[in-house]
Amino acid sequence: MTTFDRAALDALPIAPGSTGAIRERAFAQFEALPVPSQETEEWRYTDLSDFSLDFVPHAPGHGDGAPPTDSDGLAASILQHNSSVVMTTSGQDLESRGVIFCDLDLAAEKYPELVDPNLHDLVPTDRTKFTALHGAFRTGGTFLYVPADVGVEMPLQTVTYLDADGAAVFPHTLLIAERGAEVTFIDRYVSPDLERGLSDAVTEIVVGDGAHVRYASIQEWGNGVTHLSVQRTRLGRDADFRSLAVGFGASLARAEVEAVLAEPGGFSELLGVFFADEDQHFDHRSVQDHAAPNCTSDLLYKGALLDRSRAVYSGWVHVRPDAQKTIAMQTSRNMVLSEHAKADAIPNLEIEANDVRCGHAASVGPVEEETLFYLQSRGIPRDEAERLVVTGFFQEVLDRVTLEEVRTGAELAIQEELQRAI
Amino acid sequence: MVISQEEHLKELDKGYRFDWKDASHSVFEPKRGLSPAVVEEISSLKSEPDWMRKRRLKALEHFEARPMPWWGADLSDIDFENIFYFIRSTEKQAGNWDELPDDIKGTWDKLGIPEAEKKYLGGVSAQYESEVVYHKIKKELDDIGVLFTDMDSALRDYPDLVKEHFGTLIPSNDNKFAALNTAVWSGGSFIYVPPGVQVDIPLQAYFRINAENMGQFERTLIIADEGSYVHYVEGCSAPIYSSDSLHSAVVEIKAMKGARVRYTTIQNWSTNVYNLVTKRAAAYEDAVMEWVDGNIGSKVTMKYPSIYLLGEGARGEVLSVAYAGKGMHTDAGGKAIHAAPHTTSVITSKSVSKDGGRTGYRGLVRVEPDAHHAKSNVRCDALILDDDSRSDTYPYIEVEDETASLGHEATVSKVGEDQLFYLMSRGLSEVEATAMIVNGFIEPITRELPMEYAVELNRLVELQMEGSVG
Repeated sequence: MTTFDRAALDALPIAPGSTGAIRERAFAQFEALPVPSQETEEWRYTDLSDFSLDFVPHAPGHGDGAPPTDSDGLAASILQHNSSVVMTTSGQDLESRGVIFCDLDLAAEKYPELVDPNLHDLVPTDRTKFTALHGAFRTGGTFLYVPADVGVEMPLQTVTYLDADGAAVFPHTLLIAERGAEVTFIDRYVSPDLERGLSDAVTEIVVGDGAHVRYASIQEWGNGVTHLSVQRTRLGRDADFRSLAVGFGASLARAEVEAVLAEPGGFSELLGVFFADEDQHFDHRSVQDHAAPNCTSDLLYKGALLDRSRAVYSGWVHVRPDAQKTIAMQTSRNMVLSEHAKADAIPNLEIEANDVRCGHAASVGPVEEETLFYLQSRGIPRDEAERLVVTGFFQEVLDRVTLEEVRTGAELAIQEELQRAI
Repeated sequence: MVISQEEHLKELDKGYRFDWKDASHSVFEPKRGLSPAVVEEISSLKSEPDWMRKRRLKALEHFEARPMPWWGADLSDIDFENIFYFIRSTEKQAGNWDELPDDIKGTWDKLGIPEAEKKYLGGVSAQYESEVVYHKIKKELDDIGVLFTDMDSALRDYPDLVKEHFGTLIPSNDNKFAALNTAVWSGGSFIYVPPGVQVDIPLQAYFRINAENMGQFERTLIIADEGSYVHYVEGCSAPIYSSDSLHSAVVEIKAMKGARVRYTTIQNWSTNVYNLVTKRAAAYEDAVMEWVDGNIGSKVTMKYPSIYLLGEGARGEVLSVAYAGKGMHTDAGGKAIHAAPHTTSVITSKSVSKDGGRTGYRGLVRVEPDAHHAKSNVRCDALILDDDSRSDTYPYIEVEDETASLGHEATVSKVGEDQLFYLMSRGLSEVEATAMIVNGFIEPITRELPMEYAVELNRLVELQMEGSVG
């Protein structure tokens, strides 16, 4: 049984521009596709066989009760409350420089020439049952367009806030940076603890030739939320893409992060930080797809696990036959802090070119007794020592985050978890 | 150990060195294809006990019910109906090389087995098609109670021991090819080492396929009782044919408390053999299990020797070297399952791909709940020698105990320009230099091999490097 039926589809607000056709097509795909099975390699570690697609399909929001958006230090911000974009603020004169930052549905109506070729191009709706569901039931979302050679210094941000218990939200970010553009964007996902909630998110990022894009997603859903996200980026020639995924919230979070190095000279950095506790289940998946020569990609995911939590990291480095002179690195480190937590790591390499340097490393382990012993011998109490070691463990990633606010935010969240846990 | 250019050219003329065919030596007319009747016939020819016959028939059902693996190498060209499942080449097993028909004896001479037996082996088993045609163990080993025989004889002579252990580590429905082996197994080795006995010289088995479309399904069971030691070495080869053969073995090993077992394989099948093998070992308290697994030949290899660390303090090691040349796909690796406290495992994999070949490392390290203080380290390195070739790494790490410490590292690269330049500036040809670098790359494996095998492996690498550069 699902609440995502024809009646619910017909009850949605009118889909502007080409999104009406996407909606219909995706709905047919949603009905046809099976729930992903653990029998497949992709879903081996996340069991959704009993997952009931019984959510309020559309929950309009009005902005009431949403956390205040602090736009200090931001070039512009969007607030999406449940299924609706309720506020767009812009602190700078972006419009005059040709930057577009608005509700995705609004963009589909006003800028079809920009939206139509790109919406669900990198993440097709028929990828899985959940991307089809997203394509069918999405309303709201963010569209960010930066014209060629325009640089936006301060970050832009969208906060998606969910407080309708039992509802589904479909956050979507479509970010297009034209040739030589520079931009930083932050997606924040926030909710209180809920009985149930579904976040079915898609992020599509097009980084033009020579463009620089920094992207951060901060996932702080409350308990009860199931978060299923796909983030896919295409890098042009000499493009530079840096992504950070921070995961603290949700009961179950499955986040796929993919970078396609489609043209020569691209550089991609994928960083991840997560901290799981209680019964949280994190399934992180990454793809570094080298389709062109002379590209470099680096991935570093670090996570700590408490209580009965479970984390899986699986990553793929693909080096296609023509992608000579590839440098690709992939590292997953997991710190297991309690007896009943579980961590799995599957870093895969598929290399079809020979003039490459590829490597990966993965580790799973506890806080080293020797290190603790050393700190204790210097007069530091054991729990303090443990907190120090875990803080240091994360610092390797956080030191590479250039966004001051994101970094300090993550540091604070880690300290809070540690104070509570140790 | 670089051989001269002249020798290289001489060797190269020969191509795959093991490509010769003996005239057909079948005691009766062999039949193609698989059916319950074929299984019954094998069992009846061997006058087996009823439990084994039933086990075989049940396994055939498992084989037929199971789908082909959807992962790993492409197996879609295997034609199960075109395979000979059983060929008996001699009426009875020989205990003396001279008792064998001339060309079969000639094959073993060319492979150098009788000579090796004289020089450095404690026992030899020589399997030709489906059965062991020659078998011998040194009298000193026999006298102290070491059992080393072929599996068919073991079932006859030590029925209780076989029945107790057969299929306990690899049940007949474990996977499709283990099921096939259980249904039609023939030959293989049986070894029992009594408590405290150290077998200082290796026991060797050599597996030779001669016929086209042969299916070879040997079954090996090794039990090293408490505190004992044994080193078992196996080699294999086949002539080159235009259509495919199938080799699907099952190997089960038990290293009891404090025992140590080393199992060394140098697989050099011709490039029309599908090599789909299940190998599994159990290591009990303080036992040591070592797989040294060299995969140089075959069309397709899928083989992941595994170690179940079942007793406290058990240790396991897998050393894997894989080579894939033209038309070859070698999907090898290793597994370590930590199911007891303070267990350790080390997996080292080195692979080289060339001329469009594809090598893969596929592995699993798993720590069960309560297997506290487990430690494991996995290291995979791959060399890709040209831009048609490919290398894949699929390591699985699953940890259910927080005190476990696991690490995995892998690198993929080509032969370093600076290394080549240095060696060539010292007067080596590019071929010699490349061969030397590759030999250095796989050295962690070759240094663990018996000397004769290490020499053989280095020589193979040098041969394979011919034509790779220039």
